[in-house]
Amino acid sequence: MTEQFVVAPLVVALLGVVLTLVLRRRPLVQRAASLGGTVAYAAAVGLLAWRVVLAPDAPGAAAYQLGGWPAPFGITLVADALSAFMLVIAAAVGLAAVAASIRVVDRANQRVFYHPLFHGLLVGVTGSFLTGDLFNLFVWFEVMLLVSYVFVAFYGGPEHTAAAFRYLVLNVFGSAVFLLAVGGLYATVGTLNMADMVRRLSDPVAYGIDPAPVGGLTALLIGTFALKAGLVPFQFWVPGAYRAAPLPVAAMLAGVTKKVGMYAIVRLFFTVFGNAEAGVDLPWIPGASPLALLAPLLLAMGIASILVGGFGAVGGDTVDELLAYSSIGQVGFIAIPVAVAAATTSASLRRFGILAALVYALHHALAKTLLFLSAATIQGATGTNRLADLGGLAGRSPPLAGAFLVGSLSLIGVPPLTGFFGKLFVFEASIRRVVTTPGAGGMAGLAVLFLGALLTIAYTTRAWLGGFWGQAPPAVERARIDPAQVAVLVALSAVVVGVGLGFDPVYRFADAAATAAVDGSAYVETVDPAGGDPV
Amino acid sequence: MTTTMMKTTARIVVPIILVVALSLLLQGHNLPGGGFIGGVLTTVALALIYVAHGLDYLESGVLDREVESGAGIFQHRTVLAYRKTFVFGLAVVAGSGVAGVSFEEPFLTQAFVIVEDVPIYHEIELTSALVFDVGVYCVVVGGLLTILSVVGGE
Amino acid sequence: MPAVSIVLAGVVGGLFALGTFLVLRRDLVRVVWGVAVLTQAANVYLISMGGVREGTHDLVPVLAAHGGAVPRTADPLVQALVLTAIVIGFGTTALALVLTYRAYEENDTMNVQEWQ
Repeated sequence: MTEQFVVAPLVVALLGVVLTLVLRRRPLVQRAASLGGTVAYAAAVGLLAWRVVLAPDAPGAAAYQLGGWPAPFGITLVADALSAFMLVIAAAVGLAAVAASIRVVDRANQRVFYHPLFHGLLVGVTGSFLTGDLFNLFVWFEVMLLVSYVFVAFYGGPEHTAAAFRYLVLNVFGSAVFLLAVGGLYATVGTLNMADMVRRLSDPVAYGIDPAPVGGLTALLIGTFALKAGLVPFQFWVPGAYRAAPLPVAAMLAGVTKKVGMYAIVRLFFTVFGNAEAGVDLPWIPGASPLALLAPLLLAMGIASILVGGFGAVGGDTVDELLAYSSIGQVGFIAIPVAVAAATTSASLRRFGILAALVYALHHALAKTLLFLSAATIQGATGTNRLADLGGLAGRSPPLAGAFLVGSLSLIGVPPLTGFFGKLFVFEASIRRVVTTPGAGGMAGLAVLFLGALLTIAYTTRAWLGGFWGQAPPAVERARIDPAQVAVLVALSAVVVGVGLGFDPVYRFADAAATAAVDGSAYVETVDPAGGDPV
Repeated sequence: MTTTMMKTTARIVVPIILVVALSLLLQGHNLPGGGFIGGVLTTVALALIYVAHGLDYLESGVLDREVESGAGIFQHRTVLAYRKTFVFGLAVVAGSGVAGVSFEEPFLTQAFVIVEDVPIYHEIELTSALVFDVGVYCVVVGGLLTILSVVGGE
Repeated sequence: MPAVSIVLAGVVGGLFALGTFLVLRRDLVRVVWGVAVLTQAANVYLISMGGVREGTHDLVPVLAAHGGAVPRTADPLVQALVLTAIVIGFGTTALALVLTYRAYEENDTMNVQEWQ
């Protein structure tokens, strides 16, 4: 039986590209089609999540062979709980961003390929989350990146071109490194299908594999995914690119495409290389496996990201710069529990670390989208984003202020908002690690998490005081705040509150996703690659 | 570059390139070739015409139409035609993928029939992959020529 | 190790070194050249991963793992991968060129250090 719902989000997004391109000459219809296409995308994602995970008799995972070619020869799409969870994040952010951009981005600019590109971004993201093939992952990454280059250069000013160029050159380097890892893994393992790779790496002797190069090759992968996720020391492109891109797209870049990097780390290192040998012993790393290599690197990068992002955000002059730096720091909050999961030997803590990272990713996507879209509304209404030129917005538009407050409070982690659970789990994972295996790394991680939380309070307070309180300067007095944009913001804040209040099903979904992430053998069973028995 | 030598070379080479491009496109589903290669070759042929005769040649010299000027490169009729080709190609690619779904097969599934007893050819292999290739061909030709003419027109 | 492999390793290393050098230049056109050279270096590396000796089924990773007795063939998989990678690299380079042109128009210079 072919399970068409697996490919549905991809097809819907692709049709969205075609439809919005065809309707270029009718801007009104094009905008309606774009919004309709995103709603259909969200519906397709919902159907996928329901059929795969949420329904009472759901199988938990489904594989789909594109073109009917059996794995491992063809391209396999795999929808398990982890993919479904990430797709739900993408759909939520995408829907809010498209709804907002119809009002935020001015009409003439929307006609210039804005909507087709946006759906192209959705295609790339969806493909990355669904694919079960390493090279195909590279292709979807490139689809996503090519579209984001254009988005960063979308407004044709010198600083936009410069940001886009830096972004492009850095990512070309990242892609070349990714290709090195892909080629090397293919030559070493003899397959690119992830499920096949799990099977062959779990018993290298039986398949006649010499796993010696695997450790080095996976180290290359860490670098390239950290670049995509914008972790320090690969964060240089982030502030420029986010400030150059249209703000709804910046929400999408911060909320979703960064998560693609983190998703790739979780998927490859936990599902695929979870049981693999690194092949070589490194003197300062306990245990010779890709996970043991990942743990200290990711911990260090997470700590550095929280510090750089936090201090950068505290020093930001404009709302969008502040948010861009903040998203560097928040990715650090996702990286640390993943590092904890990689370092630990306990199966339950490993699952819990992934769970914490996933919940935090969901929370960050929602809160950051809300904040970026609020920034877009402020920019549209007052013509500026500089904190020094703003003030008194709370009096001008209480709903806008309320939405921004909800986003900020969620970022800080105040109950009962989504962010509370994100922070709670991240701290719990970190503390459990320190309690079970005391060590300098774990302690440093925990200390920086505390510091990062304080910095978050500092910069959100700064944005709140600078933007919403105090005397309204003339720019704010004259501001005309668009009620439709505020409606989108209010709806999104309702989601942030609602997910926090009704957290139980979200928890169970994230728990299923974390279980799927660490269970390589279930992944193999789903895909069931043919042929290639042990030699 | 619109020298006599260039024009003469283009006159001889362009038809050859176009025929090779077409044959690569048609055999691509089963032999080396395909939509991308065919499209790139076609673009090369048209780029040669541009180099030899200029952007307006296809309008004024071949189709014998007036070329309106001053509307900007994006409104140029040739460029608009290329963009339509691009969109058409993308629609064909997406459609050929979805066609498989409507037969309860996986996305992108292809099929073929071999038609026997055709005069001259003896037998012809008709494949649905050709439709996909034609879509890719249109995307490549439309996309590349849009870039070429817009950047070249600046 | 056959001589071809050593030569190929040298070529790939040289291309990566050249690409890195070019990407780090001040002149924007050189940077675009660097982008192009880097993607090509990755492509050469990728094709060499299929094995450079005269192919038999046990030399080609995908065939050794899954194919059984397929005699005397080069690795088809790396060629498919490289074709895809070439297309992507081509698109990226084209975009980089367009951006370069726009940057030149905006700043009247190809020197990155003179950008505002």
